[in-house]
Amino acid sequence: MNAVVEPLVATESKPKMTIRDVHVHYEDVHAVKGIDLDLYSDKVTALIGPSGCGKSTLLRCLNRMNDTISDCRVQGQIYLDGQDIYASDIDVVQLRARVGMVFQKPNPFPKSIYDNVAYGPRIHGLATDREALDEIVEASLEKAGLWQEVKDRLDHQGTALSGGQQQRLCIARAIAVNPEVILMDEPCSSLDPIATAKVEALIDELSGRYAIVIVTHSMQQAARVSQKTVFFHLGEMIEYGDTTQIFTAPQQEQTRDYITGRIG
Amino acid sequence: MSQHILRTYDDELKEVRSVVVRMGGLAAEQLADSMRALRDQDIDLAEETRAADKALDALEVLAENTVVGVFARRAPVADDLREVVSALKMTTMIERMGDYAKNIARRSISIAEAQGVVLMPHLLDEMATEAHEMIQDVMDAYVQRGAEEAIAVWERDEHLDNMYNAAYRQILARMMETPEHIATLSHYLMIAKNLERIGDQATNVAEQVYYTITGKFLEEARQAKGQG
Repeated sequence: MNAVVEPLVATESKPKMTIRDVHVHYEDVHAVKGIDLDLYSDKVTALIGPSGCGKSTLLRCLNRMNDTISDCRVQGQIYLDGQDIYASDIDVVQLRARVGMVFQKPNPFPKSIYDNVAYGPRIHGLATDREALDEIVEASLEKAGLWQEVKDRLDHQGTALSGGQQQRLCIARAIAVNPEVILMDEPCSSLDPIATAKVEALIDELSGRYAIVIVTHSMQQAARVSQKTVFFHLGEMIEYGDTTQIFTAPQQEQTRDYITGRIG
Repeated sequence: MSQHILRTYDDELKEVRSVVVRMGGLAAEQLADSMRALRDQDIDLAEETRAADKALDALEVLAENTVVGVFARRAPVADDLREVVSALKMTTMIERMGDYAKNIARRSISIAEAQGVVLMPHLLDEMATEAHEMIQDVMDAYVQRGAEEAIAVWERDEHLDNMYNAAYRQILARMMETPEHIATLSHYLMIAKNLERIGDQATNVAEQVYYTITGKFLEEARQAKGQG
């Protein structure tokens, strides 16, 4: 049953995901401390903060990637459209289709470009026949801005593409299963400036259709691609606000010190 | 405020601030000199004051180059972003103050060279003193990071405007009384206008100082305060 979760701030649109009092422990380490946050479908939310601040840990809670880590305990509630994603009856495979993920290092399967994108729709039974699957593959590659570059070599290995293309292939793979949320964990950290610009342009393109959450160490990237920014420090959420406000007039001294490169 | 991890970034921001302060000092000096040249009918000093404006122009170019360099290398954000954007705007405003002072110096030469003696309206002296203090006080607010002090300068502009209106009426009356001195009195009228404009620019600088310090636009902050 879906719960009615009041948004933290009254807005016109309803949050896609609501995070309430989430704590994460790795053995004795309290990595994420009581986070309350709303994520919206029409917004890109950037999570920033120094290494070890808990931002990637929180990101991985959003599609239960932390389930695979032993000694990792997640407390609190995370709702997707009012549905508790940590409830016992949740199908985690289904959840990860709705909440897709793109990792720091592009990780295409050692398969053809076509099969990389078709893999998800096949296992989730999204296509009834080959023609339908072809359509999903083309549409996904198109949305990922990769179709024109690969349409004549769909049978080539995904791993043979350039780094930037591989990352966009991974985004196409995430899109192919009709996700509602896309999580990105430093998606451009291994890419050159041109490939980075292409991925950022893609994030812009996708931002109206999916709730996108991006973890990045690049302040400029957070400023460029997001509408909301969250600053974390030592597992706590220090500040949340409109990206323009955070980067022109942050309210918290710790945020200011971090984004301006000052010693805290 | 704590320092940047990159010391050279701090050095560049210090350089930006230092240029703004030097420009403020020069503008105040130019204003004082131009008024002294006017009072004393000192053509040499007036010429020197006009020439001194080049130093202000050169500093404005230096400020522009330094700020562009900061943008290119540092991609400034938050306080640093406000600092450099405001510096860029303030230096343009201060350079304009210098232009007004230069114009006063130029008119003081025309007045000194004119036939007959036309006494300077005393209100011009009071206006110049007020405008000079506004420049000094707004630069102090900038150096001391005083948001309240910046507001105080901003609020004084109305007083200078009132003085200008009084000077305008006074000069107009004298024009009607002594039409033979209209040419010289027109110069005095324009000088009054220049002083009023210097006050406007000091007010604009005050707005930038306030924004640099607080991240809020002064007008919005005042409105919010009024409503609250």
